[in-house]
Amino acid sequence: MRDEMKGAAEMDLAYLDAGSGSLIVQAVIGGAAGVAVAAKLYWRRLVGRLRRQPAEKD
Amino acid sequence: MSPPPISTSEAGVRAEPGSFRDPGNRVFYLDGQVLRGLDRRATEDWHALATSEFFPPLLTAGKVCGTEPVDRDTLSVPDENCWDTVLRHERIPFVSYPYEWSFGMLRDAALLHLEILTAALNSGFTTKDGSAYNLQWRGSTPVFIDIGSFERARDGEPWAGYRQFCQTLLYPLMLQAHLDLDFQPWLRSRIDGVEPGQMRRVFGGTRRFSAGVLKHVYLHDAMQARHADASTGTVRAELRDAGFSRDLVLSGVRAVEKLVRRLDWQPPASHWEQYRQTCGYSDADRERKERFVEAALVGASPQLVLDLGANDGDYSRLAARHAAYVVAAESDPAVVENLYRRLRADGEQRILPLVLDLADPSSGGGWGGVERASFAARADADAVLALAVIHHLAIGRNVPLPQVVDWLVGFLATAGSRGRLVAEFVHPEDPMARRLLANKPAGLFPDYRREEFERLLARRCDITAREELPSGTRTLYVGVPRG
Repeated sequence: MRDEMKGAAEMDLAYLDAGSGSLIVQAVIGGAAGVAVAAKLYWRRLVGRLRRQPAEKD
Repeated sequence: MSPPPISTSEAGVRAEPGSFRDPGNRVFYLDGQVLRGLDRRATEDWHALATSEFFPPLLTAGKVCGTEPVDRDTLSVPDENCWDTVLRHERIPFVSYPYEWSFGMLRDAALLHLEILTAALNSGFTTKDGSAYNLQWRGSTPVFIDIGSFERARDGEPWAGYRQFCQTLLYPLMLQAHLDLDFQPWLRSRIDGVEPGQMRRVFGGTRRFSAGVLKHVYLHDAMQARHADASTGTVRAELRDAGFSRDLVLSGVRAVEKLVRRLDWQPPASHWEQYRQTCGYSDADRERKERFVEAALVGASPQLVLDLGANDGDYSRLAARHAAYVVAAESDPAVVENLYRRLRADGEQRILPLVLDLADPSSGGGWGGVERASFAARADADAVLALAVIHHLAIGRNVPLPQVVDWLVGFLATAGSRGRLVAEFVHPEDPMARRLLANKPAGLFPDYRREEFERLLARRCDITAREELPSGTRTLYVGVPRG
């Protein structure tokens, strides 16, 4: 299952719209370890996109 | 399944208009009690909370509002099946809103919110939101009121309340601390607070390097724009998969707390000095005035006193000797800040300082215009102090004198014969009144005379005491509303 698909299947249980950007920015304000998490998230997104592109061409 | 809302039409039950955003729990009033109904899921959270390590100590310390479960059999809630659980809360003596607080009040409220969140996170809980409206006051002590906000934390999830915390607490503090801009009008006009995009436009040029701005404003705004199309559920899952942890939430909250502690604002000293120099009272005047006010309140034992135009709060303190609670309203945020600092230092729990322009008091706001109640709707008082303030309204702000009198008496509408209006009329010959009149065309206020004020007051009240101060240019009155 692709990461994006897995994410979309998650049900958001919060009553408040926390804001997607506001969630990600919290990784960065938490210090170096958080920056690493944000970097990993973006890396995975990039890899996911690259993998998807050849498949879409088929 | 969401429970049906308790409507105001059901006998005796009055729903709190500001409590609807989280359908899982709602506040309502019944027989003078403040109650909170919980659905099944919120009930589970409550049971976990009540037996947690962190919550009972906060309750004992008074940092969260007093809360206890209610035996359903003792309640006459019309539909017994509406809620799984009902909680009873302590009554906050006077509900106020962040746009009525001074800088120090908003800062202390923010710090309490973060302290409580940290305690919750350390015990495996979190808060669903991060709103300034989660807090109220017992005098100069903040208290966290939104018990329904606590829930068990889910591993690997960031704090859902961060954006709300920024918009209603952190950004307003930054506006005042970094730019010396009063934040109150920003919060009053926007119930959800100041948005990152607005902040970014205000913090242009080198201002962007002020503490916290690059991360919490610029980066935040950029991230919001970049991820506008991504659902929060997707992002939560991505963050979890990338290794986001509770420790990271905690270190983020610690960083925000450190920033809030760094944000400082010193109210301009001139406000104080000017008042001290120009208030125009002799020692004899002051002494007689204090005695008069004290005599008006002693024996009346009012529950709530409004000190309108409280300034340095001297008469609020005097009133607090005889009243259960005093609201000290003053329009100048710097004066309120100084008053708050002194009350806080004294640990005063019965005087609430508020920023309030008497000629433009807080109107209702939010959904339907009632989600946040107007000042008038909240201010059912037993006594009103209007000392050295009527001339500011009648001359300074051009409010017709009959309307000023009606407005003051209006606060006592439910007090009946217990009501006391303690008013000071500054004669047109007084130096302070002359200074105000000098800025207006001659003859603009023909009604601004002591005899006319007395006639208007006597139309609405029995005047039970009257005294001219030794200076001969100010007269004090006690009016007891009729009917």
